[in-house]
Amino acid sequence: MNITRLRKGTQILTIILVILVPVLNKNGITMLMGSLYSFAVGPVWITDPLIGFQTVLTTMTADRTLLLSMVLPVVLALALGRVFCGWACPQNTISEFVDVAVMKFGLKRPFGKSTTAFPRYVILVAILIATPLLGLPLASLLSAPGIISVQVAKLIYEGTLGLELGLIAVIIFFELFLVRRGWCNYLCPVGSFLGIFRFKRTLKVLFSEDAVHVCGKCLACADACQLGLNPMEAGTYPQCHNCGSCISACEKMKADKRPLVFKF
Amino acid sequence: MSIRCTRERMNKNLLRPPGALPEREFIAACIRCGKCAQTCPYGSIRMASLLDGIAVMGTPVIQARKTPCYLCMRCPPVCPSGALKRSLKDKEQVRMGTAEVSRKTCLAWQDTLCRSCYDDCPLMGEAITMNTELRPVVNEKKCVGCGICENICPLEEPAIAVKPGSAR
Repeated sequence: MNITRLRKGTQILTIILVILVPVLNKNGITMLMGSLYSFAVGPVWITDPLIGFQTVLTTMTADRTLLLSMVLPVVLALALGRVFCGWACPQNTISEFVDVAVMKFGLKRPFGKSTTAFPRYVILVAILIATPLLGLPLASLLSAPGIISVQVAKLIYEGTLGLELGLIAVIIFFELFLVRRGWCNYLCPVGSFLGIFRFKRTLKVLFSEDAVHVCGKCLACADACQLGLNPMEAGTYPQCHNCGSCISACEKMKADKRPLVFKF
Repeated sequence: MSIRCTRERMNKNLLRPPGALPEREFIAACIRCGKCAQTCPYGSIRMASLLDGIAVMGTPVIQARKTPCYLCMRCPPVCPSGALKRSLKDKEQVRMGTAEVSRKTCLAWQDTLCRSCYDDCPLMGEAITMNTELRPVVNEKKCVGCGICENICPLEEPAIAVKPGSAR
């Protein structure tokens, strides 16, 4: 199975759902309902873990329904890593698209200097400290996928858009001219929080050479990574989204003899 | 700091959907997901914009004069965060606000025959009653604040309007 094609499929499916669900809801079909903050599939509720945790902080109560709705995405992250980011998030899809377009035009933007996840966790902690102090759901106001999905619904329901979309415009501008993939790679609190849920057996990209699987040192994998990570080196987590672009690139060069694989 | 900051920005007098927590707690608990608006079959619930204040941006509001709440009670049970009390089922228990009659402008109080608000009140004969002179009077103990009266008032500037707020 071609990883890139499969991933593009899930990204397009997410965008279709973001548009289709409010259209269905407006016509009285509410089997699927909600946004990328919180989503309902019939009786099963799924809430972004960061959004749920933020609400625990702002309300200082632990609503059981809310906590239960965070379980599925946490389990998904523990099993498959940050696949929400790499395989579904519409902001990531937009950013990838912007990046591909910009590369075609040959615009040069630096990666951020940091290659560790430390700064993004500093930002996450700052947001989580400010949240109860302000008594406002800061993470909701800073969740790009949430804003995109709610604004699509708002457009379908009310025929207007909100100024929340300003954040998306700022992100695109930032990534176009300042830092390549800067939001997803260094700032996004939703992604940072999902990155916490990871352990030894979480799905990851593994570089392992043996007699058959030999690295050709072509660097196709590092070139393919939009986040500027080098899959041949250790320490790519938790920034890695498990998008598998590096594996696809390696496959093109080495086919079945590639040293890069997804592994639990 | 926190309390002042939120209080300054919450005096917007926004009418919230049924089952909403008191305003300050509501602003803190609502995750801005829009599910209540999506489930509303009447399009009564809109998402507040930045123009209403950054603290309330994205929260659900009802503009009764445009589209009031018809008390179908579909929105409280879908709230993921509990900003709307999910257990609320009985429409008579709703406390979105209280209607107030402006006796200076109300047609009936100006001796013109009109009973629009009385006729359309979903708690007919309970929340709005007609006094012996056939003038509408709001029963504050019963009024749920749905805004149907405000919506139906035939005057250009409605003589009956809901004052938001669940605290009584």
